[in-house]
Amino acid sequence: MDVDPHANAGYVIAAYCITALILVGYALRLWLRSRKAGGSGDRSAS
Amino acid sequence: MAREARGGRALIGIGLAGLALVYVLALQFTPIERFQGLPQKIFYVHVPAAWSALLAFSMVGIASILYLWLKDPRVDLFAESAAEAGLVFSLVMLTTGPLWGKPVWNTWWTWDARLTFTLILFFLFLGYRALRGALQDPGERARFSAVLGIMGLILVPFVHLTVYLFRTLHPQPIVLKPSEPSLPWSMLRTLLISVLSYTVLLIGFITTRYGVGRRVLFSGDDHGR
Repeated sequence: MDVDPHANAGYVIAAYCITALILVGYALRLWLRSRKAGGSGDRSAS
Repeated sequence: MAREARGGRALIGIGLAGLALVYVLALQFTPIERFQGLPQKIFYVHVPAAWSALLAFSMVGIASILYLWLKDPRVDLFAESAAEAGLVFSLVMLTTGPLWGKPVWNTWWTWDARLTFTLILFFLFLGYRALRGALQDPGERARFSAVLGIMGLILVPFVHLTVYLFRTLHPQPIVLKPSEPSLPWSMLRTLLISVLSYTVLLIGFITTRYGVGRRVLFSGDDHGR
């Protein structure tokens, strides 16, 4: 028996939002840390 | 350091762009599975997260073995960076899993072998983080955490094999198995793009984290790691 294709959409939305939140959040944290450590600056390379 | 951080940040950007593409492909251009319906689409974010977490934890184990052999602090720093990235992907895996399980299994969580061992692996690497934070001496910290990293490496294949060794609600692999993948091309394509994006993201996370740690390591401020 086929299921209602639109049932349980909330679980999918929640999973996709949480995934984006965790991965983008960690990426942002790393970016800030690398800036703080002097990585953004190309001053350290020069 | 600047080169590593720049390269790492570029990889993170590519990985996140790939993830956005996966969202569009999965939600708009991949068919709805006949029996599970819409919740099956969680597959495209859950399975690559599990792959990336297990890959990262394997890297920690291999780097830990190499550290005990070479005693090179850069190898220890690589292990630390991979462990942190592995924990991030584990968090994705452990939150999306119950969100898939509830509509399909009618329960958020069950203490079956696959789920339980995955949780143990997650706690083992949380312990790894805590251990690193608790030890002040760099040599002692690297040596003790390498032992824990190797224990994690032993658990990784066991986690993969639990679905064969025990009775479990968790489905068996449909791609990483001896026979051909049992997925239609439209679904397999989205999964493969997702696995690729997550892997690029993992390498970007590790490279950037390694670059930050290396800068701190050579500046002498070990607490900043």
